[in-house]
This record gives sequence, structure tokens and C-alpha cells, in this order.
Amino acid sequence: MELLKKYPKLFQWLFLLVIFFALCFAIDVPETYKFIRGQAEFVKDPNQSTYTLFGAEVRYYAFDTLWRLPPLLGWLPIWVNDSLFFLLNEWMPMEFWNEDLQEYRTRPLVLQITRNITASMTFLIELIREILLGGSKTVVAFTSWDWIDKNPWAELPGLPWTIVAAGAVILCYKLSGKGLAIFAGLVMIYISVFGQWKPSMQTLSFILVAAPLSFIFGLSLGIMAYKSKRIEKALYPLLLVMQTMPQYAVLVPAMVLFGIGDHAAVIITMVVAIPPMILLTLLGLRAVPSEVIEAGKMSGCNNWQLMTKVLIPTARRDILIGVNQVIMVCFSMAVIAAFIGAKGLGWNLLLALNQLNIGLALEAGLCISMIAILLDKMSLAWANKQEDYFGNLTFFQRYKNTLFFAGAVLIGVIFAYVGTFVFKGSFNYFSEIPHNKGLSFADFWNKGVDWIWDTFFQTLKIFNTWLITEVLQPMRALYLRMPAVATLVLVIGAGYIIGGIRSAFTVGGLALFIALSPWWDRALVTAYMATFGVIASCTIGLTVGTLCQQNKYTTKFMLAVCDIFQTFPSFVYLIPVMMLFGITDTSVLIAVIVYATIPATRYTIEGLRSVPPALHDAATMSGVTKFQRLINIEFPIAFPHMMLGVNQTIVFALFMVIIGAFIGTEDLGQYILKALSDKKGGGKGLILGICVAFIALIFDNLIRTWVEKRKKHLGID
Amino acid sequence: MLQDRYLKKLKELPEPVRQFGGLVTITVIIILSFAILNIFWGGGDELVRKMKLEEERIAQEKKLSKLISSLPSGILVTFEGTDDHRLSEEQYEAVCNATKIVSQRSVMGANLTNFKAKHIYTINGNDIKETFVKWDKEKNKCFAGFVLTGSNVGVNETITVSGEALSFFNTGIDTRVYFIRNF
Repeated sequence: MELLKKYPKLFQWLFLLVIFFALCFAIDVPETYKFIRGQAEFVKDPNQSTYTLFGAEVRYYAFDTLWRLPPLLGWLPIWVNDSLFFLLNEWMPMEFWNEDLQEYRTRPLVLQITRNITASMTFLIELIREILLGGSKTVVAFTSWDWIDKNPWAELPGLPWTIVAAGAVILCYKLSGKGLAIFAGLVMIYISVFGQWKPSMQTLSFILVAAPLSFIFGLSLGIMAYKSKRIEKALYPLLLVMQTMPQYAVLVPAMVLFGIGDHAAVIITMVVAIPPMILLTLLGLRAVPSEVIEAGKMSGCNNWQLMTKVLIPTARRDILIGVNQVIMVCFSMAVIAAFIGAKGLGWNLLLALNQLNIGLALEAGLCISMIAILLDKMSLAWANKQEDYFGNLTFFQRYKNTLFFAGAVLIGVIFAYVGTFVFKGSFNYFSEIPHNKGLSFADFWNKGVDWIWDTFFQTLKIFNTWLITEVLQPMRALYLRMPAVATLVLVIGAGYIIGGIRSAFTVGGLALFIALSPWWDRALVTAYMATFGVIASCTIGLTVGTLCQQNKYTTKFMLAVCDIFQTFPSFVYLIPVMMLFGITDTSVLIAVIVYATIPATRYTIEGLRSVPPALHDAATMSGVTKFQRLINIEFPIAFPHMMLGVNQTIVFALFMVIIGAFIGTEDLGQYILKALSDKKGGGKGLILGICVAFIALIFDNLIRTWVEKRKKHLGID
Repeated sequence: MLQDRYLKKLKELPEPVRQFGGLVTITVIIILSFAILNIFWGGGDELVRKMKLEEERIAQEKKLSKLISSLPSGILVTFEGTDDHRLSEEQYEAVCNATKIVSQRSVMGANLTNFKAKHIYTINGNDIKETFVKWDKEKNKCFAGFVLTGSNVGVNETITVSGEALSFFNTGIDTRVYFIRNF
């Protein structure tokens, strides 16, 4: 009893593990269990049992429930699907004026709304695309095809690449100075010279629609949540799920509602980009000191004035960090949205990956990454920039950037005009370098890949085989060997030990949802892949982070590396691993490790940096060595912060595992990918996405609760 | 009163003991809930039985289809005197067991010697209610047949025609009864 009182947590964990393993050993694998049979697939088999709920018939293999729970939520995807179909095709038919037919037509309300949204999005994208690349659809929207045929001069010419490049350079100079301006210039020249101008502008056009709209919606919802506790409470679970839900999963239901194309990509991008904007707006507004608010009130501000003149300007930095996040999410979606027909760099990258043309994929991927880094730096520079005040400045000083840009436009137009003579009978390279006329190192990269394969084939194969047969397969088998009851006991027990009964209920509810869905086995495979990635990433991140933190220059360098890697869209990580390891599980896992190591390293460095210098001094004065200080003082204090890194690592790993389905894994991601090409896949995609989000939220809940308690215990809250 | 006393005693227990008790309770509740669910939803033994039967059937089918693929495509006969492939005793039994389809040709052939069957077959739009192929262990012969149901001058009648399956047709994918001797 005394021991129990002295080490209560240790005994609880021991008890939990004993029960878990006892259950694992006591419950045999059913004779008829095979991995694929564990699913309540939607295929018919005479051995399946069935039940009908809410009009949906669910087939499943009736194993002992201690081994696998029956998919009592199997009706949910079918029901979601049917509801979407009902909403789109039957609910509230109304009379709507049809401009083309010049008569009233009956259409269901939701269908009409989605079509109207689609039309407005398409118009906005076309408008920006035609400003950047030229065209006539926007003019036609206000006139007609007949009119444009008679007046060909009205067709919008595309902006020459020189003008866009000069604009980017001037803007970067204004925001951050010479360094960023030179980088912007190099990026623009790279895009142009490598013939990536058109796809880049196509990508940019849909980001230029998605980002501002996400900003407006995110800011408005953030303000509403700040103003009303009810709205905040209603939004909170949605935000949590959306932050951990793989972006793939959102594609499927959105595709059902809005079809495919750039417009659908914008809507999906908005769905994914709005949550971080809301959270950062809320964070920024909450951080405004009460003295500032009171000062505003005392000055006689009404609510509107208080918000626009006091709160938002004070929270400007956080809000602009939100803009930065929105832009980054938009870029990461550029590739994923290509799955539903968004044109641009993402589409090219996807095509190249499909053809296993690593060289082309690398060029497109590099282009996306460079633009992402540029926009990231630009938005951060904007966030950190102090407002300009123009008192006592001359006209030129005040408007020099505008004047420079006007000059650049003039010179660009002259250049483009001269180009028509210089490149007579050919493409006007001063205006736009076509996609297939630019430089290309694709062949060089492809030959490099071939060389790698020829030279290191045996070594890579040995490593690959060893990893798959000796590590991955046994690990996968172990995960699949866990009976449902043992897993639930472990998860709920862990919740109880870490956070008490409330936490136990939360994680239990999330785990039960997955266990009652038809994809428990797939979820276990997802968890096993993510676990492997997380263990490897944390080991690397912890080691690298700790080593780099010992010196301020290496710290700065590593944080900069993390920054750059974090701006790469997740899909880009697949390119080098496919180069080296081909289409195998190893490729996915290496990509997971590389991608997930970033937060692990960053949080380790930041955690160790957060240790107060006074403690360092105290330790040094007590005569401890550097190693002793690290182990006995720095690690224990930094550990809560580092655990937040582990939390991020889990989310990153899960995201990459799901994206890895593109290479061919057999986890939940594979089913999401399948749902994309399924006419009735909307419900399935959504529920699968929720399952992945719930896996992440289980870990999130456990880790956050532990961190809070630990911080309180250490007095660093 | 007793309840209050126990509750009070429980509250007086040290925090670590109470927490441990809570963990034990939660674990027991989860395992019990699963056990109760098992009563309603678990079908372990039944599933094992069904799947074993299914696996046996699949194995048998695979064996037979292997045999069929080893036979030449076309007509397979059980008697001498034709150019077609003659089945051995062993093959005859195996083909009989593998055959599920009674071809239209064999039905029409059998009807030639059964006036009533031909009449019902014709006036009911060539409708065949049921077909069967069976191996008779006692006679060591394969019997095939069909059941016809339909109205015959206003009266509903059912007639079963069966006879020895003397030849089969091998399509390369399956075998079908080619000739039924019902006379």
C-alpha cells in the first residue's frame, strides 16, 4: 500500500499494461480472420452477416466482439451519401430564372446554391487568370461570343512575365529589403526560364482567389467567436477536427457538391485554410491587453470602432501570421486539389509522378516550393513590418515604389513589343516562355535516377527488403494482432491515468467511433505506419535538435532549415523518396520521417531554448557538467514543450501516411483515394477523414493534457 | 444509512488508492460491455463454420476447374464410336460433379421423346424452372434433368425429365450437359 501511495502512476501504468497484454494473449486470432476480411467491405460474400439501420444495409463479418467490434456505424457513410444526394437533387425544388434559356426552371435549392457559388468562383479565377495570362472569357461574361468575334481587340492580353517579375521584386524590396527582392527576382526568372510560367500563373490565380476569401471568412468567424462564447464553443470541435483531418478527405464530399475543376479546388482550399485563420484571429484578439481595450472604450469608441480601430490593429501581427498560414495551406492544397482537376503546377506534378517522370516532377515541385518560400517570406515580412507614416515626405519618397512599378510596366510593355519583332515567326520570349520551350533538366534528373538505381540497386534492395520483412511486417502484424477490447482498454486507461475521467471519456469516444466504423483494421495499419514514422522522427529530431541547440549559429541554421522545409507542400516530399526507393512502403515511411522530423527538431530546439538562463547559471555554479545539466535540468524542464513537438509530429506523420496512399499503401488513405474515384464516395471519404482526424485527436488530447499537468507541476505554466 | 457509510469510507480512502480503484472499475466496465455486446453481435463460431464450408467449396471448385482445364475443349463423351474425346471413369465422375449447367440443346433433345414435356416447354415460352446434375454412386453414372412448370390447357402442371448424361460440352471455362438419354 505504501508503494502504491509513493508511485501511484507507475502502478496504474503497470496494471494497464498487464491487463492489455493479458487480453492480447487471452483472445486468440479467429481462425477465419484475414486482414481483408476484417473490413465490412461493401462487397457481397455469403459469409457476411447483415443489419439494416436508417435504410442502409451493412454487411460485415461477425467476429467475436472482443476481437473486432461489429461496424455499428457502417450505415453512416451510406447515410451521409444519401443525404448529400437528397439535398442536391430533391430537397426544396424552387423556380429559378435561367439566363441561357430565358425562362424559369425548377431546381433543388442546394443544387442552385452550389451552382451559383461554382459560377462566381469560376468567374473570379478566370478574371485573375486572364489578367496574368490573357484570354477572353471575362469579357465574354459581360458581352457575348459574337461581340468578341467582331471586336478581337477586346481580348485581354496577358501580363508579360517581366512586369510580374518586376512587380514581385519591388514589392519584396518594400516589405523586406534587398535580400528578399533578389530572391524574388531569381524565383521569377527560374519560373520563366524553365517554362513554368503558365502553370505557375494558373496556380497563383486560384490561390489569389482562395487566400483572400479564406482571410475574409476566417477573420469574420474569428471575430464572431471572440465576441460570442456560444459561437466559439460551436466552432471549437469543428476547428479541432479540421486541423487534424487529412486534406484528401475533404476533396470527396466537396467533389460531390461542387463537381471538379478549379472552382471546386478553391472551395476545398478555403475549407482547409479558414480554420488556422480563425484560430490565429482568436489568439490575436485574446492577446490584446485589457488596458488597451479600456483605453479604447474610455475614448468613446463604439463596438465597431473598438474592433476596427483598436482590437484588429493591436492584433495585427497574429492576424498577418494567419494570412501567412492561409497562403501556406493554399500552396499545400495546390497539389492535392489537382486530384479534382485544378490546373497549374500541382496538376503537372501529379501527371509527372503518375508517369514516374521524376525529372519533370522535380522541376514542378521545385517551382511550387520556391513560390511557397517566396510568399511565406513576403507574408512574414508584411506581418513584421511597422506601418509607414508619410509625414514630411516628398511626393517621390511617398510614392517611389508605385512609380518604379509604373516604370517597370512601361519598360515591360516596350520589351514585349520589341519582342514581337525580335522573335518574329516564333514565340515572344519577352512576353511569355511557353511550357515546352523553356529550359529543362528533366532528362538530367531522370538519368540521375537511373544511375542511382544502377549503382545502388543491390544496397537499396537489401535495405528495403530488410526494413519490410524484419521491421515493418512484424510491426504491422503486432498492431493487427491487438484485439479491439485490449486496444480500447489501453486507450481509455491511458486517458484516465493522464487526464482523469473526462479525458478517458473523450479519447474513449474517439476510439470507439473508429472501432465501430467499418475500417478498424485499416486504422490500425495507419496507426502502425504513423507510429514507425513518429518514433524515427522523434529520435532524429531530438538528437539533431539537442546537438544544434548547443551553439547559437547551428540553432539559427537549423531553425532556418526547418522553416524552409515546412513551406514545401507535403506532396513534394514524395519525389526524392520515389527516386531512391521506388514504389514501396519504405518510400512512404521515409517521406513520413523526413516530413515529421521538422516539428520534432524545431520543438526540441525551442524547448531547450525556453529553459531560463538563470537555471543554467545556477547549474554551472553548482558545478555540474554540460551533460549533467542537459540530462538533469534542461530536458526535464523542456520536456513539456518537446511533447508538443511530438504532438505535431504525430499530425504531420498521419498527413504524410495518408498522402502516401498515392504510392500504394493499404491504410485509410488508400480508401480515401478510392473514394475519390467512386461515384458514391462522398460519405465514405468524409467518415474516413474523420477516422484519421480522431486518431490524431486521441494523441492530441493525451499529450496536451499531460503537458498542461506537467507544466503546472514544474511551475512553468 | 449503510450506503452513506460506505460512500464516506470510500471518500476517506487516499487519492492514489481511489485513482487505482477508478482504473480497475473502468477496465472492468469496458471488458463487461464487450462481453455483453458479444451476446448480441458476436457470431464467432457460426462464422468459423460458415467460412470453413465456404473454403472447402472453393477448394473443391478449384480442383475441378483444374481438371476441366486439362480436358480438351469441345464435346466430351462417355461412350465409344465418335471422334470426340472419351472420358475415363474418373474424369466422368469429376466432370459430372463439376457440371452445373444443363444446356438448352440437351433439354430440347430430351423433350423429343417426351411429348408432354415438349408441350409445356413450348407453350410456356421455353421456361425451365430448375435443372440438376447428380452423380449416382450406386449406378456409377451421371444423371441430369430439368423441371418444367406451367399451364397446360388451363391446368398448372409440373413435370420432371431426367436421364443419364451421356455427353458434356467443355467451353474451357465450364462444362455443360450436352446430351441426356431419357429413353
